[in-house]
Amino acid sequence: MRLWMLLAVLSVTAYVSLAEITKNKNRGRGSMWWGIAKADEPNNFLPVSPTSMLDSSVYGNLRRKQKKLIRDNPGVLQAISRGANQAVAECQYQFRNRRWNCSTKNFLRGKNLFGKIVDKGCRETAFIYAITSAAVTHSIARACSEGSIQSCSCDYTHQSRTSSAVRDWEWGGCSDNIGYGFTFSRDFVDTGERGRNLREKMNLHNNEAGRTGVVSVLLQHVSSEMRQECKCHGMSGSCTVKTCWMRLPSFRVVGDNLKDRFDGASRVMVSNSDRVRSNANLANSVHQHRDGLSRRQRYNLQLKPYNPEHKPPGPKDLVYLEQSPAFCEKNPKLGILGTHGRQCNETSLGVDGCDLMCCGRGYKTQEMVVIERCACIFHWCCEVKCQKCRTTKTVHTCL
Amino acid sequence: MQGTIIENLSGKKLSLLVILLIIAQIVCFLIGGLIAPTPASSQNILGTQCKDTSINGSDENKWFYSRGNGSCTSVDDTHFSSDTHQQPYQIVYTFQMPVPRNNLDLDYSRWQQNLIGVLQVDIRYNSEVEIARRTLITLDARLAYRSKDPQDVWKPYASSTVERILDCSIDMPREQYNYNCKAMPLFELGSLYHDYYLLNIRLPSNTGKNQGLGRIVDLWLTAINQNGGFTKVWVSLKTVYFPIVLGVLTWYWKRVYMLSRSPALLEYMLLTLGSALTFLNLPLEYLTLAYDMPFMLLLGDIRQGIFYATLLSFWLVFAGEHLMLSFIILAGISAGIYLLFLSYMIWKVFKNISAKRAVLPSMSSARRLHYEGVIYRFKFLMIATLLCASLTVVGFILGQVAEGQWKWDEDLELEMTSAFFTGVYGMWNIYIIALLCLYAPSHKQWPIEPSENSISEEIEFSPLPTDPNEMLSLTAFARKTAVE
Repeated sequence: MRLWMLLAVLSVTAYVSLAEITKNKNRGRGSMWWGIAKADEPNNFLPVSPTSMLDSSVYGNLRRKQKKLIRDNPGVLQAISRGANQAVAECQYQFRNRRWNCSTKNFLRGKNLFGKIVDKGCRETAFIYAITSAAVTHSIARACSEGSIQSCSCDYTHQSRTSSAVRDWEWGGCSDNIGYGFTFSRDFVDTGERGRNLREKMNLHNNEAGRTGVVSVLLQHVSSEMRQECKCHGMSGSCTVKTCWMRLPSFRVVGDNLKDRFDGASRVMVSNSDRVRSNANLANSVHQHRDGLSRRQRYNLQLKPYNPEHKPPGPKDLVYLEQSPAFCEKNPKLGILGTHGRQCNETSLGVDGCDLMCCGRGYKTQEMVVIERCACIFHWCCEVKCQKCRTTKTVHTCL
Repeated sequence: MQGTIIENLSGKKLSLLVILLIIAQIVCFLIGGLIAPTPASSQNILGTQCKDTSINGSDENKWFYSRGNGSCTSVDDTHFSSDTHQQPYQIVYTFQMPVPRNNLDLDYSRWQQNLIGVLQVDIRYNSEVEIARRTLITLDARLAYRSKDPQDVWKPYASSTVERILDCSIDMPREQYNYNCKAMPLFELGSLYHDYYLLNIRLPSNTGKNQGLGRIVDLWLTAINQNGGFTKVWVSLKTVYFPIVLGVLTWYWKRVYMLSRSPALLEYMLLTLGSALTFLNLPLEYLTLAYDMPFMLLLGDIRQGIFYATLLSFWLVFAGEHLMLSFIILAGISAGIYLLFLSYMIWKVFKNISAKRAVLPSMSSARRLHYEGVIYRFKFLMIATLLCASLTVVGFILGQVAEGQWKWDEDLELEMTSAFFTGVYGMWNIYIIALLCLYAPSHKQWPIEPSENSISEEIEFSPLPTDPNEMLSLTAFARKTAVE
């Protein structure tokens, strides 16, 4: 608890300039770390200083608490970087057939990795927050298992002993890593979001939903006995002693899960009590305003559905504030590329169909000769032998 | 005639003894539930892929590890996408045990007793390369150890090329999903003597091995070790019980030895049972703290096995002694029927005794009271036997219920598995101590009641001449009425 307060104080002192606050007011301030994805792939030798391998522009955009977390936990940066890249790849895979295809921009100081779309509190933004937060949870848990992060906690859950970690380990072993991934993701990803305005609450909720997504995928599989493995090791291998453990799912499973949540996301609005609270906050001292929500309040947000007939969103649901833009035309203000030149599926009736994808502008059809790898034979470990096939493909492109 | 203590002990003394034993039993259960952690814990270790740059990977003394001085160059899993020409033996999956936590380089403690390694393979689904349900996988596994001394180098411990059947299925065949492959047991170390262990695994591909494996993305090793806290509680229990049982056993045998007759079968059985328990109680685990004893797993199995065998045969003889039937043929029946059978027998004993009680009203009051007391106590002991037997069997059944390290209900303070283990262990000890105490020959002589029909009664209840003092008086009583 004291540590948490200390960190809270640190993050308060890490206050950015006034100009930056106004600039980022719309989206909250916890999204700049995504730029780590564009940092050069770190090599495997641990650098003397973890900052040396990071692009200064990327590192400069991190919040002070995030920098401290990276400094204090060697190996974490590589894991976050891997996670961020995984999140981008997964987002682009999940949205490959939609008008908005999760394109990323060249990362520059002060710019957001996913572009200005995150300034709007729409569904797509909700997904970005959730998938990035989930990816950090996943990849930190993975890195803990690999042993590349030394500081993963050894929660000894049986009794709250005050003894050292070594004695805990000897006495009762260590807990699973997913818990550490979860809390680390909370500390790192949620740094900038204090839940003071509705947008920050939306971000907090979606970050949490992403993390919960990883855990729920794990548990869902446990209940269907897919991801839980057990070993009997009692007398002569009898089952008097049975130890079970979780298996970390492939990140694609998490991505699919979150995409389902995206499709069923709920629109929320400011509840009355919140309005009163924020007004009171404004009237109160600056200190209280700065502190934002306490940790308990942070993750117990009461968001009110926009449509009063809908159920309030649960912890796993994604929430958004405003309707998504159409994504049809190029809009530099919102960082939308538009669907001009995108390929579409002539026969599909879904979003990837040419009617919807091209927003009724029509499309052109071309015959193309494509040389593809086909009839691949896989040789352990490292060789995929493929034939090259020439096929003629009909490609539809939006005008 | 001389009876056993259970027949001659006063009701007050008996109840005091029973209360003491019950308290001891509760203490045993609580020690497990409140002090001891779960019996075992596991660490999931993700294999780091190191690149072996030597010419053919056959250098036995070259060890690859991902942490510490001289750690390897790791290869990321992108080697699948491009047509790089790496050779299979160049990829070494390394597992360094244990994994560090809380910024501490954790090491195994000798209190943790044993280490079991289970290997899991994550294979990514790819519609182009689907794999068979059951595939043969060949692993070149090498295990090394190291001490805490920072100057120490990895020393080979064991190495082997093993073949395992990989059983993989997939529910939703989608790209990038993983096959659900069953865990394969890889190694079992009976003693956890060293501080660190290192496992290097290669998947050789010479002579067509490992060709049907598909796209392996990760290798996971689950290292299961007994918890040090559990060992400490367990060994403490043993240390406490060992001298007690040994003492009671010598006292019992002294009593039996003092008898003029030669010991009966039941008495021999009790002695064997006590010895088996003493062997089980012997806290050999202390030796593992100083010496490398890889045979401990086997020894533990043998000790437990001997104990179970003796306990089960004792129960048969015990129940048989009171029903006067031959049960030797039935001794071979399986453990499942065993409990039913035992319950049935005990039920018959009850019925038998109840039938014989009909004779009681015709006796003089003092003698009747004596026999009624004896019958009551035997009933009590029979129920205790049944309870002990049921708990032992239930222990097996409960063992099937998964006890994961993952607890979502964190409010639960009681460690049920450990509580059950210590509870059952304590129960065996207490039960056998009680048996040894209660079935020891008594020094007390039952006073012959002076009355006019005492002579005829004495004749009636005196043991048969062909059977000199071999039986307990209840047995004699039951047999006598049966003869009539």
